[in-house]
Amino acid sequence: MTTPDVLQLEGVSRHFGGVPAVDNVSMTVRAGAITGLIGPNGAGKTTVVNLVMGLLHLSEGRVLLSGRDVSRLEAADLARSGVARTFQNVRLVPNDTVLDNVLSGFHRHQTAGMFANVFGLPSARAEAKRHMAEARVLLERFQMTQFAGHRASALSYGHQRRIEMMRALAMKPQLLLLDEPVAGMNDTEAASLGTIFKEIAAEGVAVLLIEHNMRFVSSICSYLYVLSSGRLISEGLPGAVLKDQKVVEAYLGAA
Amino acid sequence: MMDLFLAYEATVDHILVYALLAMSQYIVMRGGTFSVGTAGFAAIGGYGTAILITRAGWPPAAAIAAGTIIAMAVSAVMALPLSRLRGVFQAVATMAFVQVLVTVILNWDSLTRGALGISGIPKVVTTGWLLLIVAVVVVFLHVLGRFSIGKAMDVIREDETVAVSLGIRVIPHQALSLVISGALGGLGGAMFACNSYAITAEDFGFGMLNNALAMTVLGGRKSVWGPLIGAVVLVILPEVFRPFAEYRYVFQGALLMLVIIYLPNGVADTLFAAIRERRVRSSTSAAAARTS
Repeated sequence: MTTPDVLQLEGVSRHFGGVPAVDNVSMTVRAGAITGLIGPNGAGKTTVVNLVMGLLHLSEGRVLLSGRDVSRLEAADLARSGVARTFQNVRLVPNDTVLDNVLSGFHRHQTAGMFANVFGLPSARAEAKRHMAEARVLLERFQMTQFAGHRASALSYGHQRRIEMMRALAMKPQLLLLDEPVAGMNDTEAASLGTIFKEIAAEGVAVLLIEHNMRFVSSICSYLYVLSSGRLISEGLPGAVLKDQKVVEAYLGAA
Repeated sequence: MMDLFLAYEATVDHILVYALLAMSQYIVMRGGTFSVGTAGFAAIGGYGTAILITRAGWPPAAAIAAGTIIAMAVSAVMALPLSRLRGVFQAVATMAFVQVLVTVILNWDSLTRGALGISGIPKVVTTGWLLLIVAVVVVFLHVLGRFSIGKAMDVIREDETVAVSLGIRVIPHQALSLVISGALGGLGGAMFACNSYAITAEDFGFGMLNNALAMTVLGGRKSVWGPLIGAVVLVILPEVFRPFAEYRYVFQGALLMLVIIYLPNGVADTLFAAIRERRVRSSTSAAAARTS
C-alpha cells in the first residue's frame, strides 16, 4: 500500500530583503506517519511552518496539499482545508475556559450559517451541542476533564500545551504541524505526549514535527529532514540522519 | 414610589440611551476592532430621524427605523477600508470620521440648521419603550455571543494569528461587528433625538465618543453586561458627584484609571470570571473530598 503524500514542498524559498531564510527546500509529509523537521536555532524551521500555513508568502516554489497547489491561499482558507498547528510558545485565549479554548477549534466544521448563529436558531444550537460532546471526548483522551471549567491561563505550561493540542485536533486536520511541542517538558511528560502523537498519526493524520529535542525526535519520527541556515542538509531514516557528518557538524558547530 | 421614579426619569432615560451606545461600542471591541465611530453613527441616526420627522413629516417609528438603517449602511461602507487597518490606526480613522460628521452637520445649514440644531422633535420615546428596546438588544447580543460567531470574535480579539490558523476568517467577523455597531449607534442616536426634544451637533461629538468608550472599558468587552454596567456607573457617577461641580470629572477619570490598572478586563468580565473560578474550585474540592 502506498501512503498518500499530504504535504509536498517543491523548491520552496523565502527571502527577507535579499537574505534567504529558507532556500530551495523540498520535502514530503505522508499520511499516517510522523515526519520530523530538525535543525539548530535560526535554521528557518518556524519560517517553513509559516510558509506552509500561508502566514508568509513564498518567494519561490510551490506548496501542495493533497496534490492541490495551495501556495496562494489565505491563511484562514488553508486552515479550513484541514491544516492545524500548535505554536512554539503556547497561544490560547488566556481568560477563556479550557473547554471554550477547545471548542474554538471546531470553527471550520461549522455548517449552520451566519444567520442561524446570529439568532441562535435550532440548527446552531444542535451544532453547538454536538461540538460540546466531541470536545468532552478530547478532554477525556488528554486526561483534562477535571479542568474543563478552569481558566486556561491558570493552568501549568504542560496543561496549556495539551489544550493547544486538543484545539488543533478539534479541527480534525489532515495535516498537523507541531512546532516544538515538548519544549520545556521533562522526559516523562514528553513520552506521554509522544504516545498521543503516534496515535494521532496512526489514525491517518500526516504529522510534521518541528523539534529541537533529538532524543524525542528519533524515538517517534519515521523520517527526518534536517535544516541548517535555511537549506536542507540531510534527510532519511532517523538512525542514519543522526549519524550524518553534516548534521553533527551543524549541531555541534564543528568546522 | 411614582414620585421617586419621576424625579429620576431623565437619569434612567439617559442610562438607557447610553446603554445602546455602549453596546454599539462593545460589539466592535468584542470582535477586536478598535473603532470609536459610535458617536458618528449616533449622529447619523439622530439627525436622520430628527430631519425626517420635523422636515419631511415622517411618522416617528418609520423615521427611527430609517435613521438606524442609514447609520448601518454607512458602517457597512466603512467596514472594508477599516479592516485594512489595525489597532490605534482604526481608532484614529474612526475618530476622524466623527469629527468630519460633526463639521458637516455644523456647516450644512440648509439640511441641519447648522449650529442652531434641530428642535421641536416630539418626545415619543418614553422610558417604557427604551426599556423594551434595550432588553431586545441585550437578548440579541447575548445570543449572538453564545454561538460560534461570538466565540470566533473572542479569538480574533485575543490573537489574530491564532484565529486564522483555526480557519476563522477575520474580515467577515469584523465587518459583521461593525455593521451591528453602526445599527446600534444609529438606534441610540435616534432614541436620543426622540427623547430630548432638540439636538445639536455638539451632542454627538467627542464627549459622546469618550463616554461610550469609557463605559465599555469600565464594564468589559466580553459579556454583554459589561456595557450595561458601564452605562449605569458612568451616568450615575456625575450625578452623585454633582456637588463637586466640574471637579466631578476628576473622580470619573480616577475611577477609570483604577479600573484599567486593577481590572483590565472590566468590572463585569472580572466579576463573572471570579464567580466561575469559585464554582470550579468548590466542585473540584468536593470531588477531591469524595475520592479521599
